[in-house]
Amino acid sequence: MKKIYVLLASLVMMVALLVAGCGSSDTKPAATKSGVSADVKAIQDRGVLNVGVKVDVPRFGFKDPKTNQIDGFEIDLTRALAKKILGDEKKIAVQAVTAKTRGPLLDNGEVDLVIATFTITEERKLSYNFSDPYFTDGVALMVKKDSGIKDLKGLDGKKIGVAQSATSKKAIQEEADKLGIKISFLEFGTYPEIKTALDAGRVDCFSVDGSILFGYLDDSTVILADRYTPQKYGAASKKSNEGLAKMVNDTITDMRKSGELDQLIKKWDLK
Amino acid sequence: MPGPFAGFKWLALVSDWSIFAEGFMQTILLSVLALTLSLLLGIFFGLLGTSDVKILRVCNRIYVEFIQNTPLVIQIFFLYHVLPHAGIMLPVFVVGVLGVGGYHGAYIAEIVRAGVESIPKGQKEAAYSQGFSYWGAMLHIVLPQAKKIAYPPLTNQAVSLIKNTSVLAMVAGGDLMYHADSWSSNTLYYGPAYIVTGLLYLSLCFPLALYARKLERNVEVTS
Repeated sequence: MKKIYVLLASLVMMVALLVAGCGSSDTKPAATKSGVSADVKAIQDRGVLNVGVKVDVPRFGFKDPKTNQIDGFEIDLTRALAKKILGDEKKIAVQAVTAKTRGPLLDNGEVDLVIATFTITEERKLSYNFSDPYFTDGVALMVKKDSGIKDLKGLDGKKIGVAQSATSKKAIQEEADKLGIKISFLEFGTYPEIKTALDAGRVDCFSVDGSILFGYLDDSTVILADRYTPQKYGAASKKSNEGLAKMVNDTITDMRKSGELDQLIKKWDLK
Repeated sequence: MPGPFAGFKWLALVSDWSIFAEGFMQTILLSVLALTLSLLLGIFFGLLGTSDVKILRVCNRIYVEFIQNTPLVIQIFFLYHVLPHAGIMLPVFVVGVLGVGGYHGAYIAEIVRAGVESIPKGQKEAAYSQGFSYWGAMLHIVLPQAKKIAYPPLTNQAVSLIKNTSVLAMVAGGDLMYHADSWSSNTLYYGPAYIVTGLLYLSLCFPLALYARKLERNVEVTS
């Protein structure tokens, strides 16, 4: 019996160490002589900007299966930021993130920025720095053509498939409350899984930001015209990297003023 | 500075404890039912495997090899996403019980078979010579001895089964892992969420693992 106590005690200690270790690992950004903050300097010394992007959202961040190239609006944005920080838009290393991995990857420093249809919320701002929004989208609903559903009201008593970590659940719930209808949600890890669930009839509706939803439209499905609760996308960085966050924000503000951002939005045919 | 384990994230978890409790209960219920099913399947197919009739042994092999050599995730996906296309819409909870129960049933079948086969043939022959029927010999002579050998690995299967119920998170199964995923991805407070979830699974599995070790020791003493 004694052995068990020793084992348990060491387990508790391990967890405590882990918690303490991770909690104290944040460092305050200190300005260096050259005028750039330490976190930006670290990226410049490394010579490459590590960014987490989506690879399954056509026109935002999408890996073309034919060429294996990742491209899209958010990749162009990444290039513009690399140009600003490193002076060369080619010095980027993008890696695929999902809704579930983008938070941890920022925290452990594997990526400097996450530019991946990341909706800004007050709750999330407590954990990460967000830039001002670079794009605003609305939550949309996709249903099967043969279901005959025409609007949110038609979804009374139905199941709606949403992505984990997406804000669409809250947005649709609020609208449903206004209409006084009852709906339930099932959460899935990736968008293709929700589409599979819709095809199988596990859910009656696939709901996510409109621009993402268009990538999954096919002959048997239709996207309803209504859009709900504007979703503002921001570039996120680790909470302690304040210098980087400011630089990113300034760059995006400049791009908006100069019209460069609108040009990119036009280039990728986003509304 | 707020790291992944910042204090306010723990507080948020505490105030949402009912979400985790709901998932925990669902996982326990799922585990109990799946374990019951896997024991029934395991004993049935395990005994088929020790039969003298070839066709029964073939049945055992088909079940065991098919289940053991495909990933559990694919089996769950099949039940959840493919069967509806054939008009069979099983509720997700049933998918969990059938999927996880069926999966571990195959492993338990092998344990049962190994247990029975480890009893020397002479035991059964001696029973036959005393006038026992097949079932009499099995029930009174072979199985009581095989039980002792099969118990520790069976308990380990129960531990694996509990952990494997977490695959249901991938099909919105409402189990503990699903709620942990859902909560942590909504709030992005993944640090406390997964630590607590891990500890909850540990609290289920660790006592079972200890029990398995105790059983193993008992076997050592008697043999």
